[in-house]
Amino acid sequence: MSSADTATTAAAPSSGRSAVWGWRVWMIILGVLIAAGLGTWIYQLMQGLQITNMRGNVIWGLYIITFMFFVGLSAGGLIIASAGRLFAGERYKPIARLALVEAAIAIFIAALLIIPDLGHLEHIFNLVIHAHWMSPMIWDFLVVIIYLVISVVYLWLYTRRDHAARGSWMALGTKDHSAAARASDEKVTYWYAWLALPAAILVHSFTAWIFGLQISRGFWYQAIMAPLFISSALVSGLALVIILAMVTRRRGKASFDDGLLSSIGRLLAIFIAVEAFFVFCEVLAAYFPGVASDPSRQLLTGRYAPGFYFEVIAGLVIPFVMLLFARWRAHRWVIVVASVLALLGIFVHRANVIVIGLGKAPMQLAPGTPLGTPTASGSSFEVNSVYFPSGWEFLIVIGALALATMLFTLAIRYIPLKESSETY
Amino acid sequence: MAMTQSTEALASAEKAAERAPDPALQNAKRLGMVVDQNRCIGCWSCSVACKGENNVPIGLYWLRILTIGGTTLESPAGTYPDLSLSFQPTNCFHCDNPPCVKACPTQATFKRPDGIVAIDYERCIGCRYCMVACPYNNRVFNWRTPVQDPAADTAVVGQVDMRPRGVVEKCTFCEPRVTEGYLPRCVVACPTGARSFGDLADPSSLVSTKIRQLPTYVVFPEKGTEPSVHYVLRTGPNAEGGQP
Repeated sequence: MSSADTATTAAAPSSGRSAVWGWRVWMIILGVLIAAGLGTWIYQLMQGLQITNMRGNVIWGLYIITFMFFVGLSAGGLIIASAGRLFAGERYKPIARLALVEAAIAIFIAALLIIPDLGHLEHIFNLVIHAHWMSPMIWDFLVVIIYLVISVVYLWLYTRRDHAARGSWMALGTKDHSAAARASDEKVTYWYAWLALPAAILVHSFTAWIFGLQISRGFWYQAIMAPLFISSALVSGLALVIILAMVTRRRGKASFDDGLLSSIGRLLAIFIAVEAFFVFCEVLAAYFPGVASDPSRQLLTGRYAPGFYFEVIAGLVIPFVMLLFARWRAHRWVIVVASVLALLGIFVHRANVIVIGLGKAPMQLAPGTPLGTPTASGSSFEVNSVYFPSGWEFLIVIGALALATMLFTLAIRYIPLKESSETY
Repeated sequence: MAMTQSTEALASAEKAAERAPDPALQNAKRLGMVVDQNRCIGCWSCSVACKGENNVPIGLYWLRILTIGGTTLESPAGTYPDLSLSFQPTNCFHCDNPPCVKACPTQATFKRPDGIVAIDYERCIGCRYCMVACPYNNRVFNWRTPVQDPAADTAVVGQVDMRPRGVVEKCTFCEPRVTEGYLPRCVVACPTGARSFGDLADPSSLVSTKIRQLPTYVVFPEKGTEPSVHYVLRTGPNAEGGQP
């Protein structure tokens, strides 16, 4: 414990009492939100999933949407860190650790978000005992767990020499922090990147295949699902890296110059363009044959069409234009606003995949799909293709977001995110 | 559900009234059903019988009657005066290539040797992936603790327990009855004899003969799920057969 305290002292900002109090208040706020989420989850365990608004056709909701979103953030973060290491040399190195922190936290939160979605948690051990290897879901769960280990180990490999230099327990026995040891770790992390990159691509591909392999839903049953998920992971992952990098630099915990920021901004514009291309391919294939019943047509004209227009205009077009010119990218706020928009756009994209995909069931249910809960006023034969999360669902997801934020706050405090001056 | 003396006596009388067990059902390779739309009057007797037989909770249906062409429940297809009303009673199709079985991560949904797609409620984790995988929406989920109101357990052959909260359930082709050689309850309950049940793998069975001799369809053949429930197309004046 004493070594951890030393690390705390070493890492604590030197701005004095107000900073300490600010940190405490921040942690208490997050703690309260986490407790609220946890309490709601316990309430849901007692009441069952009836407290959610998932019903009728829309049998997956905010939990799975946020799960997909976080898997994407994580895969995006790890792809940027590992592909940057493999193909761009030193260029993206100042943000590599940050991307790894994002990857590790996001996949942990994603794994947690599966739990409240399960109707019968007591049976969860059947995933191990009676694993069915034909199911894309079992592969996704397996890859999420393997990938969680891979990303945490990757982050540790990147930072262990600095932990050793600080005398932190997080060095886990590593003592040598000489230049020679750091140079040998350079090789280790390089080869490790060859493992991490395919793992990151696989984790989001399996998540895509949960949907993309189901012949039951025309909106999902498309070969483009996995590439589309990867491209949206890159957009959201990089957008969040940019936002987190700005926050971290402001706190004095990361160092990179605005030149790097501009070049990451350009990379984000490229990712957005790829995402826009895939979305265009999807929409074109839905409309060209002129089949009115194609479920993908729900995107442009259905109930949730405003979400799609938000995704395209606010999430793709506006950030792309903002990031297009180096002169505009020179303003930091331009990059941050573009990143926030892109991030929101991808979240709405995830929600569209779930709600439109499930809401438009191929078997015309009217008249015939009863709601799970009969209501006095409504008919139990109502078609339920409308979904908006209940307050309880929001509380659980907000709790998960608060946990992610708390983990990140702890990470920038205790994990050395700056590249060590001993090597460079 | 516990039965009183009088209901027990009634049950044994009902059991005696059942047709003798048919060993062909017990030895079947691929159980299937044929529903004749020329006979179905959309009375929901099958659905009510199913509810009592299988303790299907309030708010959920294993068997629902879809109306072909209409926009709401029991509304006809076409425009006045050229209207036609026909029904498609719909329960689990017990597909030969079931997407739900592939989707289930814990093998809780599985295909039995007699062709029934069954669910092991002790294995189900309630992830609802099978419901997502089913193109026919024939599966339902216990969002809340199941309640049957009135508590009318009418099963006379084989006992069906209520499912726990948080698991997926669906039509079992009355698996406890079929295992003992009795027809599914909906087949027995139908007042017009629209339903027939038997072994699709046996060419001499009633269902195989009907499929061979009458114009029938399955729902979404293009999806390749190979449903074991076939429908006899409605023929005659104003016939509006086909899918709902």
